Amino acid sequence: MVDNVGAGASSDDGGVKLEQDRLLPIANVGRIMKQILPPNSKISKEAKETIQECASEFISFVTGEASEKCRAERRKTVNGDDVCWAMEALGFDDYAGPLRRYLQRFREMEGERANQEKHANIDNISIGGQEKDAPVPSSSSSYRKKQGIRM
Amino acid sequence: MRQAGTYSGLLSGGLSGRTGPHSLPLARIKKIMKKSGDDVKMISGEAPILFSKACELFIEELTQRSWMMTIQGKRRTLHKEDVASAVMATDILDFLVNLVSNSSHSMDNPVEVETIATSKS
Repeated sequence: MVDNVGAGASSDDGGVKLEQDRLLPIANVGRIMKQILPPNSKISKEAKETIQECASEFISFVTGEASEKCRAERRKTVNGDDVCWAMEALGFDDYAGPLRRYLQRFREMEGERANQEKHANIDNISIGGQEKDAPVPSSSSSYRKKQGIRM
Repeated sequence: MRQAGTYSGLLSGGLSGRTGPHSLPLARIKKIMKKSGDDVKMISGEAPILFSKACELFIEELTQRSWMMTIQGKRRTLHKEDVASAVMATDILDFLVNLVSNSSHSMDNPVEVETIATSKS
Protein backbone atom coordinates (compact mmCIF):
# COMPACT_ATOMS: atom_id res chain seq x y z
CA MET A 1 0.00 0.00 0.00
CA VAL A 2 2.90 2.33 -0.61
CA ASP A 3 2.69 5.02 -3.21
CA ASN A 4 5.95 5.91 -4.79
CA VAL A 5 6.10 9.66 -4.90
CA GLY A 6 9.21 10.96 -6.57
CA ALA A 7 10.54 14.38 -5.75
CA GLY A 8 10.22 15.41 -9.35
CA ALA A 9 6.64 14.31 -9.62
CA SER A 10 5.08 17.70 -8.95
CA SER A 11 3.67 19.30 -12.09
CA ASP A 12 4.52 22.90 -12.67
CA ASP A 13 2.06 23.88 -15.43
CA GLY A 14 4.52 26.31 -16.97
CA GLY A 15 5.30 28.06 -13.70
CA VAL A 16 1.69 28.62 -12.67
CA LYS A 17 0.52 26.50 -9.72
CA LEU A 18 -3.17 25.85 -10.11
CA GLU A 19 -5.02 26.94 -7.02
CA GLN A 20 -7.36 23.99 -7.38
CA ASP A 21 -4.43 21.67 -6.76
CA ARG A 22 -3.62 23.05 -3.35
CA LEU A 23 -7.16 23.36 -2.05
CA LEU A 24 -9.92 20.90 -1.26
CA PRO A 25 -13.05 21.34 -3.41
CA ILE A 26 -15.18 24.15 -2.03
CA ALA A 27 -18.38 22.17 -2.59
CA ASN A 28 -17.17 19.43 -0.25
CA VAL A 29 -15.97 21.95 2.32
CA GLY A 30 -19.26 23.82 2.15
CA ARG A 31 -21.24 20.62 2.59
CA ILE A 32 -19.35 19.63 5.73
CA MET A 33 -19.84 23.12 7.14
CA LYS A 34 -23.55 23.15 6.36
CA GLN A 35 -24.09 19.77 8.00
CA ILE A 36 -22.67 20.92 11.32
CA LEU A 37 -24.48 24.27 11.45
CA PRO A 38 -28.12 24.87 12.43
CA PRO A 39 -30.63 24.70 9.56
CA ASN A 40 -31.37 28.41 9.30
CA SER A 41 -27.73 29.49 9.26
CA LYS A 42 -25.96 31.07 6.30
CA ILE A 43 -22.35 30.95 5.27
CA SER A 44 -20.67 33.69 3.28
CA LYS A 45 -18.64 32.68 0.26
CA GLU A 46 -15.54 34.26 1.77
CA ALA A 47 -15.97 32.27 4.97
CA LYS A 48 -16.11 29.05 2.96
CA GLU A 49 -12.99 30.05 1.05
CA THR A 50 -11.18 30.90 4.27
CA ILE A 51 -12.00 27.54 5.81
CA GLN A 52 -11.03 25.87 2.55
CA GLU A 53 -7.59 27.49 2.90
CA CYS A 54 -7.38 26.56 6.57
CA ALA A 55 -8.06 22.90 5.77
CA SER A 56 -5.13 22.78 3.34
CA GLU A 57 -2.94 24.49 5.89
CA PHE A 58 -4.01 21.86 8.41
CA ILE A 59 -2.96 19.05 6.08
CA SER A 60 0.41 20.70 5.42
CA PHE A 61 0.98 21.41 9.08
CA VAL A 62 0.29 17.88 10.25
CA THR A 63 2.08 16.28 7.29
CA GLY A 64 5.14 18.38 8.00
CA GLU A 65 5.26 17.15 11.57
CA ALA A 66 4.68 13.53 10.55
CA SER A 67 7.32 13.77 7.85
CA GLU A 68 9.81 15.24 10.32
CA LYS A 69 9.28 12.25 12.59
CA CYS A 70 9.89 9.84 9.73
CA ARG A 71 13.05 11.66 8.81
CA ALA A 72 14.32 11.52 12.38
CA GLU A 73 13.60 7.80 12.48
CA ARG A 74 15.13 7.29 9.03
CA ARG A 75 11.92 5.98 7.55
CA LYS A 76 10.88 6.86 4.04
CA THR A 77 7.14 6.46 4.18
CA VAL A 78 4.66 8.57 6.08
CA ASN A 79 2.04 6.12 7.30
CA GLY A 80 -1.26 6.36 9.14
CA ASP A 81 0.31 5.99 12.57
CA ASP A 82 2.65 8.90 11.85
CA VAL A 83 -0.32 11.06 10.92
CA CYS A 84 -2.13 10.14 14.16
CA TRP A 85 0.98 10.80 16.19
CA ALA A 86 1.50 14.19 14.56
CA MET A 87 -2.06 15.26 15.34
CA GLU A 88 -1.61 14.39 18.99
CA ALA A 89 1.74 16.19 19.07
CA LEU A 90 0.15 19.33 17.61
CA GLY A 91 -2.71 19.46 20.07
CA PHE A 92 -5.44 17.71 18.12
CA ASP A 93 -5.79 15.03 20.79
CA ASP A 94 -9.54 14.83 20.32
CA TYR A 95 -9.07 13.63 16.77
CA ALA A 96 -6.46 11.01 17.57
CA GLY A 97 -8.86 8.56 19.23
CA PRO A 98 -11.54 8.51 16.51
CA LEU A 99 -8.85 8.47 13.83
CA ARG A 100 -7.04 5.50 15.31
CA ARG A 101 -10.32 3.58 15.43
CA TYR A 102 -11.04 4.66 11.85
CA LEU A 103 -7.59 3.41 10.82
CA GLN A 104 -8.12 0.13 12.69
CA ARG A 105 -11.44 -0.48 10.92
CA PHE A 106 -9.85 0.40 7.59
CA ARG A 107 -7.03 -2.11 8.12
CA GLU A 108 -9.47 -4.81 9.20
CA MET A 109 -11.63 -4.22 6.18
CA GLU A 110 -8.68 -4.32 3.86
CA GLY A 111 -7.76 -7.67 5.36
CA GLU A 112 -11.32 -8.93 4.96
CA ARG A 113 -11.52 -7.64 1.43
CA ALA A 114 -8.37 -9.50 0.54
CA ASN A 115 -9.92 -12.60 2.05
CA GLN A 116 -13.17 -12.16 0.15
CA GLU A 117 -11.33 -11.82 -3.11
CA LYS A 118 -9.40 -14.94 -2.35
CA HIS A 119 -12.60 -16.87 -1.60
CA ALA A 120 -14.32 -15.43 -4.65
CA ASN A 121 -11.54 -16.80 -6.78
CA ILE A 122 -11.85 -20.23 -5.20
CA ASP A 123 -15.64 -20.15 -5.74
CA ASN A 124 -15.18 -19.30 -9.37
CA ILE A 125 -13.11 -22.41 -9.78
CA SER A 126 -15.57 -24.65 -7.93
CA ILE A 127 -18.56 -23.34 -9.88
CA GLY A 128 -16.88 -24.81 -12.90
CA GLY A 129 -17.91 -28.14 -11.45
CA GLN A 130 -14.61 -29.38 -10.11
CA GLU A 131 -15.31 -29.55 -6.41
CA LYS A 132 -18.79 -30.44 -5.41
CA ASP A 133 -17.96 -30.56 -1.74
CA ALA A 134 -16.80 -26.99 -1.43
CA PRO A 135 -19.41 -24.64 0.02
CA VAL A 136 -20.58 -22.19 -2.61
CA PRO A 137 -22.22 -19.01 -1.31
CA SER A 138 -25.29 -18.08 -3.30
CA SER A 139 -23.95 -14.58 -3.82
CA SER A 140 -21.00 -12.57 -2.67
CA SER A 141 -23.25 -10.21 -0.75
CA SER A 142 -24.67 -13.02 1.36
CA TYR A 143 -21.11 -14.13 1.99
CA ARG A 144 -20.38 -10.69 3.34
CA LYS A 145 -23.44 -10.87 5.58
CA LYS A 146 -22.30 -14.21 6.96
CA GLN A 147 -18.98 -12.67 7.84
CA GLY A 148 -20.82 -10.01 9.77
CA ILE A 149 -19.00 -7.26 8.04
CA ARG A 150 -20.47 -3.99 9.07
CA MET A 151 -19.35 -0.65 10.32
CA MET B 1 -16.51 10.04 -16.72
CA ARG B 2 -13.16 10.37 -15.07
CA GLN B 3 -10.52 7.74 -15.43
CA ALA B 4 -10.21 5.28 -12.60
CA GLY B 5 -7.56 6.60 -10.25
CA THR B 6 -5.42 5.05 -7.61
CA TYR B 7 -8.15 5.13 -5.04
CA SER B 8 -11.12 4.14 -7.17
CA GLY B 9 -10.95 0.53 -6.02
CA LEU B 10 -11.11 1.62 -2.43
CA LEU B 11 -13.94 4.02 -3.05
CA SER B 12 -16.19 1.68 -4.95
CA GLY B 13 -15.47 -1.69 -3.50
CA GLY B 14 -13.82 -1.02 -0.20
CA LEU B 15 -14.66 1.57 2.36
CA SER B 16 -17.44 3.48 0.68
CA GLY B 17 -20.05 0.87 1.42
CA ARG B 18 -18.94 0.60 5.02
CA THR B 19 -17.77 3.94 6.34
CA GLY B 20 -19.78 5.99 3.89
CA PRO B 21 -18.23 7.75 0.93
CA HIS B 22 -15.15 9.79 1.72
CA SER B 23 -16.21 13.41 1.95
CA LEU B 24 -12.99 14.61 0.47
CA PRO B 25 -11.09 13.51 -2.64
CA LEU B 26 -8.12 11.35 -1.70
CA ALA B 27 -5.97 12.23 -4.72
CA ARG B 28 -6.30 15.94 -3.93
CA ILE B 29 -5.36 15.32 -0.29
CA LYS B 30 -2.29 13.43 -1.43
CA LYS B 31 -1.29 16.36 -3.67
CA ILE B 32 -1.57 18.77 -0.77
CA MET B 33 0.49 16.45 1.42
CA LYS B 34 3.21 16.25 -1.23
CA LYS B 35 3.39 20.03 -1.46
CA SER B 36 3.87 20.43 2.28
CA GLY B 37 7.59 19.84 2.04
CA ASP B 38 10.45 18.53 -0.06
CA ASP B 39 11.19 15.78 2.38
CA VAL B 40 7.75 14.29 1.92
CA LYS B 41 8.57 11.57 -0.55
CA MET B 42 6.53 8.49 0.10
CA ILE B 43 3.05 8.41 1.50
CA SER B 44 1.28 5.23 2.49
CA GLY B 45 -2.16 4.61 1.02
CA GLU B 46 -3.87 4.96 4.36
CA ALA B 47 -2.55 8.45 5.15
CA PRO B 48 -4.86 10.35 2.76
CA ILE B 49 -7.77 8.27 3.99
CA LEU B 50 -7.04 9.31 7.56
CA PHE B 51 -6.76 12.91 6.47
CA SER B 52 -10.12 12.79 4.73
CA LYS B 53 -11.64 11.97 8.13
CA ALA B 54 -9.36 14.35 10.03
CA CYS B 55 -10.15 17.26 7.71
CA GLU B 56 -13.81 16.60 8.18
CA LEU B 57 -13.34 16.82 11.96
CA PHE B 58 -11.18 19.89 11.55
CA ILE B 59 -13.64 21.71 9.29
CA GLU B 60 -16.44 20.84 11.70
CA GLU B 61 -14.54 22.16 14.70
CA LEU B 62 -13.42 25.34 12.97
CA THR B 63 -16.94 25.93 11.69
CA GLN B 64 -18.50 25.44 15.11
CA ARG B 65 -16.02 27.77 16.77
CA SER B 66 -16.58 30.37 14.07
CA TRP B 67 -20.32 30.05 14.46
CA MET B 68 -20.00 30.86 18.18
CA MET B 69 -18.47 34.17 17.11
CA THR B 70 -21.34 34.75 14.69
CA ILE B 71 -23.85 34.14 17.47
CA GLN B 72 -22.00 36.50 19.78
CA GLY B 73 -22.36 39.13 17.09
CA LYS B 74 -26.11 38.34 16.99
CA ARG B 75 -25.92 37.37 13.35
CA ARG B 76 -27.00 34.33 11.35
CA THR B 77 -24.46 34.53 8.56
CA LEU B 78 -21.00 33.14 9.19
CA HIS B 79 -18.40 35.59 7.88
CA LYS B 80 -14.67 35.20 7.47
CA GLU B 81 -14.13 37.62 10.34
CA ASP B 82 -15.81 35.04 12.55
CA VAL B 83 -13.30 32.46 11.37
CA ALA B 84 -10.47 34.88 12.15
CA SER B 85 -11.89 35.49 15.65
CA ALA B 86 -12.18 31.77 16.29
CA VAL B 87 -8.56 31.25 15.25
CA MET B 88 -7.37 34.02 17.56
CA ALA B 89 -9.32 32.55 20.45
CA THR B 90 -7.98 28.99 20.10
CA ASP B 91 -4.42 27.92 20.95
CA ILE B 92 -4.23 24.91 18.69
CA LEU B 93 -5.28 27.07 15.74
CA ASP B 94 -2.20 29.28 16.12
CA PHE B 95 -0.79 27.90 12.90
CA LEU B 96 -3.62 29.66 11.07
CA VAL B 97 -3.02 33.13 12.49
CA ASN B 98 -1.11 34.43 9.50
CA LEU B 99 -3.50 32.86 7.08
CA VAL B 100 -6.61 34.51 8.51
CA SER B 101 -5.00 37.87 9.16
CA ASN B 102 -3.75 38.03 5.57
CA SER B 103 -7.22 37.45 4.23
CA SER B 104 -9.19 39.67 6.58
CA HIS B 105 -6.95 42.72 6.79
CA SER B 106 -5.94 43.94 3.38
CA MET B 107 -3.51 46.83 3.23
CA ASP B 108 -4.12 47.87 6.83
CA ASN B 109 -0.44 47.59 7.55
CA PRO B 110 1.58 48.39 4.47
CA VAL B 111 4.55 46.15 4.13
CA GLU B 112 7.88 47.90 4.41
CA VAL B 113 10.01 47.25 1.41
CA GLU B 114 13.71 47.37 1.87
CA THR B 115 15.50 48.83 -1.09
CA ILE B 116 18.92 47.42 -1.45
CA ALA B 117 21.20 49.77 -3.23
CA THR B 118 23.24 47.91 -5.71
CA SER B 119 26.28 49.78 -6.75
CA LYS B 120 27.92 48.68 -9.87
CA SER B 121 30.84 50.73 -10.83
